[in-house]
Amino acid sequence: MAANTGSSRVAIPSFSGKGKLWIGLLVALMAAGIAAWGYQLTTGLIATGMRNVFSWGLYIMMFVLFVGLSAGGLIISSAPKFFHSHRYEGFARLGVLVSLACIIVAGLLILPDIGRPGRIYQFFTSPDFRSPMVWDFGIVLLYGLLNLWYLWLLTRRDLAARGSALALGFKDTEAGRERDRTLMFWTAAVALPTAVALHSVTGWIFATQVGRGDWFSPLVAPVFIAKALVSGLGLLLVVSVLADRYTNFEVDREELTSLGKILGIFLAFHVVYLLAAERLPHAWADHFEFWAIMSNFLIGDSVYFWLWTVVGGAVPLAMLALPTLRKRVSVIFTASVLAVVGTMFEGIRLVFTGYEVANIDSAPGISLGGEYTGITTDIWATAGSYTPTLVEIAVTLGIIAFGAFIVTLGLKYVPIQRVDAEPSYATDGGKQDQ
Amino acid sequence: MTKHGLVIDQERCIGCQACAVSCKQENNVPMGQFWNRVLTEGGEKMDTPSGGYPEDGGSGSLDMQYQPTACQHCENAPCVKVCPVNATYTRDDGIVEIDYDKCIGCRYCMAACPYNARVFNWDEPEHMPEEGTGDVEARPQGVVEKCTFCSHRVDEGLDPACVVNCPADARIFGDLDDESSTVSKYIDKYETDQLLEDRGTDPNTYYISGEMSPGRPQTSDKMESELDDVSPWSDGDDDVPSKEADSAGGESSGSSHSVEGGEIPYATPAKSGGDD
Repeated sequence: MAANTGSSRVAIPSFSGKGKLWIGLLVALMAAGIAAWGYQLTTGLIATGMRNVFSWGLYIMMFVLFVGLSAGGLIISSAPKFFHSHRYEGFARLGVLVSLACIIVAGLLILPDIGRPGRIYQFFTSPDFRSPMVWDFGIVLLYGLLNLWYLWLLTRRDLAARGSALALGFKDTEAGRERDRTLMFWTAAVALPTAVALHSVTGWIFATQVGRGDWFSPLVAPVFIAKALVSGLGLLLVVSVLADRYTNFEVDREELTSLGKILGIFLAFHVVYLLAAERLPHAWADHFEFWAIMSNFLIGDSVYFWLWTVVGGAVPLAMLALPTLRKRVSVIFTASVLAVVGTMFEGIRLVFTGYEVANIDSAPGISLGGEYTGITTDIWATAGSYTPTLVEIAVTLGIIAFGAFIVTLGLKYVPIQRVDAEPSYATDGGKQDQ
Repeated sequence: MTKHGLVIDQERCIGCQACAVSCKQENNVPMGQFWNRVLTEGGEKMDTPSGGYPEDGGSGSLDMQYQPTACQHCENAPCVKVCPVNATYTRDDGIVEIDYDKCIGCRYCMAACPYNARVFNWDEPEHMPEEGTGDVEARPQGVVEKCTFCSHRVDEGLDPACVVNCPADARIFGDLDDESSTVSKYIDKYETDQLLEDRGTDPNTYYISGEMSPGRPQTSDKMESELDDVSPWSDGDDDVPSKEADSAGGESSGSSHSVEGGEIPYATPAKSGGDD
């Protein structure tokens, strides 16, 4: 079926000067990240800003963000397939590619957080199934493999048609495409509950803990789902607008606007509704006067709260709600960036609410376990404080650069879009017409 | 079954830090880290009371108490449940312990512990003197460590180091499953609290406040159960030690606070509510 060759396209046929510069930048960031991680391995986690009271930091905050980011693409590509719809077909492959990159970033972010990465095999040899972390480890792994399988399934016939070795010997035949459509439906049927499980289990890592303030809330898992929808869709929109601008990937304007509207709905549900639902009962129970209840309900306590709810919530929501604005690509792009940034601060805030207050804070407090420098050093703290070090930032940026590298390679080697105007995938026997 | 527990009498505690220091020595705890801390319930700083001085115009409401705090060895220990690799586990005798060979250093247990009882070796642990102190092997960089109730001593029939070194006899170690043990009797008789009871962790460490107890009843560094018939309550008819109570057996270890004429020293129960 060589006739299919022209019906798919890769976004980056070859790297231009700018493209090479981009690759160079990513490689430099990855090299810096590896060097920083090497340094951290030799000195220990003392190279980070974490200490005994505040014992999880940037790596876990970014893990939470990237698990969420990995949701959008897979959901946007599998939900329509599950309902036999052709909506958002143009985003399907890019979406899965972005999801795959994000879940790899999330998984890798755990490695530098581990005190003894060499012992990580203990997850397989000595797991305790009471631990939410064991389940999360499993589901991150499963989700990563699922994304890889799905991306390959979506593209393998086109890869075969293009003669790519990535088709792994599969042939581009009409019967094969037919069978793949059925497989895609079933993959979508598995992918959706897996995504829900991924975000819930990640939420339950925190929501099960009685010792860390606001973490212990049944709302955490639903909030993780909501923020995955917001940030995941946000990132997909950001990446597709960028890909449209700098590569041969083409965004369907109408679908982009439509997804922008959906992002607005997700934002309203997440940042307005769920947040209100979380805050109201506490504000009501803790205060007596009407205005005391209201102000405690509406006014947050930390800068992260405001960065999340205003910069990452109210502003993009307003941008996507105003009919005159929301059709512009630049507005959709900016709102999506803000939604992702806001979600990042939400994760940062979550970790801070757990660690900044110690349950038992009598003097002298808790020994910090920092470098012992002498008799005058105050090794005690009665509250948690945290600032990431350059080493942590370099390692994190290196891993994120690796994610961007995966997306870039995907745009180069995977046929990311069908060219034909007619939607080509349906499980209800829809025929291709080329 | 045995369930080891600790009773700390806050009315007896004098805040001398001997338990914190002997813990550090016995267990080879690295510089900059503490498994056992003596907290001051009172003012902003260590050893400062809350309230005002009893002088002209002052409220005279000075108040201070010490709360020695280490791993509470919870029945429903969150740290045990979160450990992904079974490195933290509960022994059959109720002691929560860490297998440092298994620990991957993910620090989920530190997030789980409401008492901040756990410390992490952020860098290569430093000891003074360099070869270390006490009878416990040093832990490597990259693992979480904490109080073990001196399980290496308990296995030998000895009380934890913090217990035998408490000059105020404020720490009593024993078997909570044994109704005739001192810890069980004290929990029954005196007003005791568990820290952060509302979290449902059900610690095996209890704190006495209000009325002062007679404190740790034996002078040996052995556990009560290891001593031969020394319990003044072995006849089981009186759960409160009194001066008249007398029993034979058990060798006095020549401890500085032994009471003449008997192996079992008790402090006279102080008048209730002593210093509040």
